[in-house]
Amino acid sequence: MKKELNSATKSIIATLLGLLAGAILMISIGSNPFEGFSYLFKGGLMNIERIGNSIATATTLILTGLSVAFAFKTGLFNIGVSGQMIIGGLCATIIGLKVDMARPLLLFVMLLVAILGGAIWGIIPGLLKAKFNVHEVVSTIMMNWIALWVTYYTVQTFLKDVQETQSADLQIYAQLKVPWLTELFNGSSINLGIFIALLAVIFVKIILDKTTLGFELKAVGFNKEAARCNGIAVNRNVILSMMIAGALAGLAGLTFYTGFAKNIQIGILPSQGFDGIAVALLGVTSPFGVLIASLFFGVLHTGKGFMSAMTDIPPQIADTIIAIIIYFTATSLLIQRVWTKILRKRDNKKTEEGGKN
Amino acid sequence: MKKSLSIILSLMLVVALLAGCSGGTTSKSSIEKMTPGSNLSFKVGMVTDAGTIDDKSFNQGTWEGVVQAGLDFGLETKYLKPSGTTQAEYLTEIGNLYDAGYKFIVCPGFKFETTIFEAQTKYPDAKFVLIDGYPHTGDYNPVVGSNVVSIFFAENESGFYAGLAAALQLKTGEVGFIGGMEIPAVQKFNWGFQQGIKYANDTYDTTITMNAENFVYQGSFDNVAAGQQLAAGMFDKGVDAIFCAAGGVGVGAINEAKQRANNGEKVWIIGVDVDQYSEGIYDGTKSIILTSAMKKIDQASYDMILDETFNRFQGGQILTFDSTNGGVGIPVENPNLDKSVVTKVQDAFDKVVAGTIVVAAEQGNLFK
Repeated sequence: MKKELNSATKSIIATLLGLLAGAILMISIGSNPFEGFSYLFKGGLMNIERIGNSIATATTLILTGLSVAFAFKTGLFNIGVSGQMIIGGLCATIIGLKVDMARPLLLFVMLLVAILGGAIWGIIPGLLKAKFNVHEVVSTIMMNWIALWVTYYTVQTFLKDVQETQSADLQIYAQLKVPWLTELFNGSSINLGIFIALLAVIFVKIILDKTTLGFELKAVGFNKEAARCNGIAVNRNVILSMMIAGALAGLAGLTFYTGFAKNIQIGILPSQGFDGIAVALLGVTSPFGVLIASLFFGVLHTGKGFMSAMTDIPPQIADTIIAIIIYFTATSLLIQRVWTKILRKRDNKKTEEGGKN
Repeated sequence: MKKSLSIILSLMLVVALLAGCSGGTTSKSSIEKMTPGSNLSFKVGMVTDAGTIDDKSFNQGTWEGVVQAGLDFGLETKYLKPSGTTQAEYLTEIGNLYDAGYKFIVCPGFKFETTIFEAQTKYPDAKFVLIDGYPHTGDYNPVVGSNVVSIFFAENESGFYAGLAAALQLKTGEVGFIGGMEIPAVQKFNWGFQQGIKYANDTYDTTITMNAENFVYQGSFDNVAAGQQLAAGMFDKGVDAIFCAAGGVGVGAINEAKQRANNGEKVWIIGVDVDQYSEGIYDGTKSIILTSAMKKIDQASYDMILDETFNRFQGGQILTFDSTNGGVGIPVENPNLDKSVVTKVQDAFDKVVAGTIVVAAEQGNLFK
């Protein structure tokens, strides 16, 4: 019998259990779960426009998920994705609104400043952790609020148009939306961000698996003290890890505020930052896992409205399914432990019996 | 059978409206032109703005109107809550409603402006009601499609009545204001409120004071804790009544006032959008809600659906709900106001309708 359940298997089991729980919920409110699920998935996949919308929703989640997953690998819990995202988006929006240059160059500069903005917002908690041992959960949450109010002030003071609650709209040429892609997907909100996200998946995969940096980062994540004993600069890696995680979140901000949306609304921390934690968990913190989990969440988010429009099932059921999936993903570690214990007990028994004979 | 029953019911309702609706938009001449019950086969959808359907304010008001119309005319109704507040998310939910056959869609809030601009051409056979906004591309030049009705309210007049009522009831003391975001709808409430206080001081010799430092915008519509802190600060400085036009932030202020009232302090809150009397109940029967500056959102959404059932949807128009058509005012029942106060407010209401009182919708020399 296999000792370790494959991590992908665990995620799939968690997903199925989540869907099953959703079905039970649907039955309990007197709805037909087959009907419910068929509309849920139709809503996300029924036509090319909806597929485009699902991908567009997934785009930002891929990057926030990567950000969380990357920090996880170094044993850091980055809850500051929302803040890093909003700062990245803010930097890109400032360039997009205020700077006038040829479109490819403009988009490239926007990309760079989004990375930079997110990285700075990530590096501060990294430094605090490395120098003063400030727990990153606390400092990243605080950075979220600083980001929120910095954006609030900046938008209201420099970037607003008529409405007080959002920045001016970006011109078409300063958005990640491109006509050929929009038309290909029949007017959906899909944009160039998906290519950025896919490149980021590959980039993270290579860093983690093929470079010394990735090896060191993971070593710190597995066992800090062991890593230190082996001459790995733990503090440097903590800072680097948070910086890269922040940069990924900054990119998420770019795809969200200049691709999915076309302005920054103030007073709202983007929920994608927190969904990133869920995506990273479900994707077992592997880049491709994050990609698949994000696409799945994208379909759920896009389809849930259609499900509740077609049936009496409230959209909260879809949110509940997502929550239950996360719950089972988290507890799958527990299931693994139970599984291992059972196996060990049986092995022990066997050896004992073997000894007797 | 079911349909004919609903037609009969709706006819009965129209009669009831004729008899009972004093301030409705259904004037006698327009009712005479009605051809009864010709369209009862459409489905009504709504997409919520930021916040939940039970926000005691904008979404709830709109939805209550939709539900009432659905019951009265036997129409299917449904609301969807978008994942966020971007145009893309709003469009997704409109698409969901449209694909499910809901082709009469009500959207509350200015955040829908550019969304409806896109939707009005994307779904030409659907009809849209946009409350507190008008469609535009992002440049604020109204482009109201023939399948869209835009609705605005005269918040300044509503705030005026609330300010007048508060001043007359308190006679002396100090008032403050907590706004959500600094957007026109909230600003107009504030400016109207100040004019109402001034009008009472000038006309009825009340001595209510106002300080600029107690007229603040919190900056969001959902920060309950901040609302509570702001209210606590104002009450500590001696403010007797606070006008809250701030959604969830106002809920925090209401909580603070309730606590203080339970400890025997004499403090008041003036509610907004809907009659918030029941929100302020403490100690069983008493409420800290002095009165509310109402915006009859439910009536607006109801009336637009009513129009559609008679095939007289006013597509392409920007409508204003103000005192002249009963779209704004204080609640009918005001347990915390004296009879004489209500009479005087009604008096002012009549004067606004007649045009002898004009409530400015601009800041002028008022606090921001």
